[in-house]
Amino acid sequence: MTTRTPSPVPMRDDVHVHPGPALLSGLAGGPSLTAHRSQYGALPRLDLPALMDLARAAGLRGRGGAGFPFAIKLSTVAEGKRRPVVVVNLSEGEPASSKDSALAQARPHLILDGAVVAAVALGARDVYVVLPGDRPLAAQRMTKAMAERKDPVRLHRSIADSRFVAGQARAVIELLSGRPNLPATTWVPDAVSGLDGRPTLLSNAETWAHVGYLALRGEAAYRSNGTPDEPGTTLMTITAPGMVPQVREVAYGTRLRDVLPSSLHGAPALVGGFHGSWATWPTLASAKVSVGGFRSLGLALGAGIIHLPGRDACPLEFTSRVVDYLADQSAKRCGPCLNGLPALADAVRGLLVGSGRQARIEVLAGMVERRGACAHPDGTVRLVRSLFTMLPEEVAAHATGGCMHRPLRVAS
Amino acid sequence: MSTLRVDWPVCQARGLCHELLPEIIELDEWGYPLVNGEVTDELLADARAAVRACPRLALRLVG
Repeated sequence: MTTRTPSPVPMRDDVHVHPGPALLSGLAGGPSLTAHRSQYGALPRLDLPALMDLARAAGLRGRGGAGFPFAIKLSTVAEGKRRPVVVVNLSEGEPASSKDSALAQARPHLILDGAVVAAVALGARDVYVVLPGDRPLAAQRMTKAMAERKDPVRLHRSIADSRFVAGQARAVIELLSGRPNLPATTWVPDAVSGLDGRPTLLSNAETWAHVGYLALRGEAAYRSNGTPDEPGTTLMTITAPGMVPQVREVAYGTRLRDVLPSSLHGAPALVGGFHGSWATWPTLASAKVSVGGFRSLGLALGAGIIHLPGRDACPLEFTSRVVDYLADQSAKRCGPCLNGLPALADAVRGLLVGSGRQARIEVLAGMVERRGACAHPDGTVRLVRSLFTMLPEEVAAHATGGCMHRPLRVAS
Repeated sequence: MSTLRVDWPVCQARGLCHELLPEIIELDEWGYPLVNGEVTDELLADARAAVRACPRLALRLVG
């Protein structure tokens, strides 16, 4: 058996879940169905136009990373001729994210209420819940929650593989179809033709929890957080070496610095996880938690992941370890990714010792981008490119054999 | 105008597509196709031939 490259951020599901204003309110009651119903009451039955109006009015976007408007996906699924299916994606293959795991442990019935209310509105009979293979606490809690319920639809349970790309939407549909849990080429959107060729409404756990909250509490409660342009809240995972992952529910418009532990202020951070970008402290300090606000800073809020490696950590060295890990996590089925990511990992390792060239990295980036069944190569390229755009002085220090985080050394 | 799309997990770098349609298909340093640009009307017949000839059935004309 070959040894797998370890993740530079360990995959953990012991999470510190902070109380929040909406999804993470009332945590003291615990995750049981009884506590959930006493907090929220019975799940109302919504017809499709009512659910569509709610999703549109709330401006709800998918929280898996891509931020696609939920109402558009819902309407595509509803327009299909065949009976749709609903999928709850809890696989969360990104080690630096723990928010879906946190929700599964603390608020499992909010997730399930969202999926069930949508399934009923769509006339779907089956809801597939895909649990993480490497987060046993989340999987156990979710399984227990599913057993507590009596719904007018069938709930099915599957377990995803322990692999970074296993949570990719098509990989999840492949798993549910009885094939290997790996990305496959999507010729038509899953919302048009997904599981068994049926219109498939697949969203990640946080998205479903927001749907549940909207259905239970209504638009006004949802809009009471956030800004007029970007109502509501989003979950964020903050990780740092030696710290239990922190999951926070943050209202859109909040200053990012207020969400980050003050002891870790001042250093660059990785925003958006292993497929994300580096950001300097001044950028982080100026950012507001907002999809558009992050975009204007050259960042992506994505799934709300911030990793703070600390002042003593070298971002190049950390990136090199991430790219090594991502190359190993590739499904190794698409040629450009299979060959290109290890080559990219070599090139990034070269940067560390001052022998790597940006030109070679650009050539490799061009050869892997948009040349795979999923966005794994694209995300890896985004991370590497962000070193040059966001931290050029760090790259320059290595080019002359140094490092801003270690005493000057002679390049070997 | 149509576009050629590669089914990446299926493609095994046999390279026939490049032989049949060098105008818009190059091969990368590992032998996998790099599709440059759209399929014009003049190239349509050759593009269809490339799709048919792929031993892995990994090439499709879309749009």
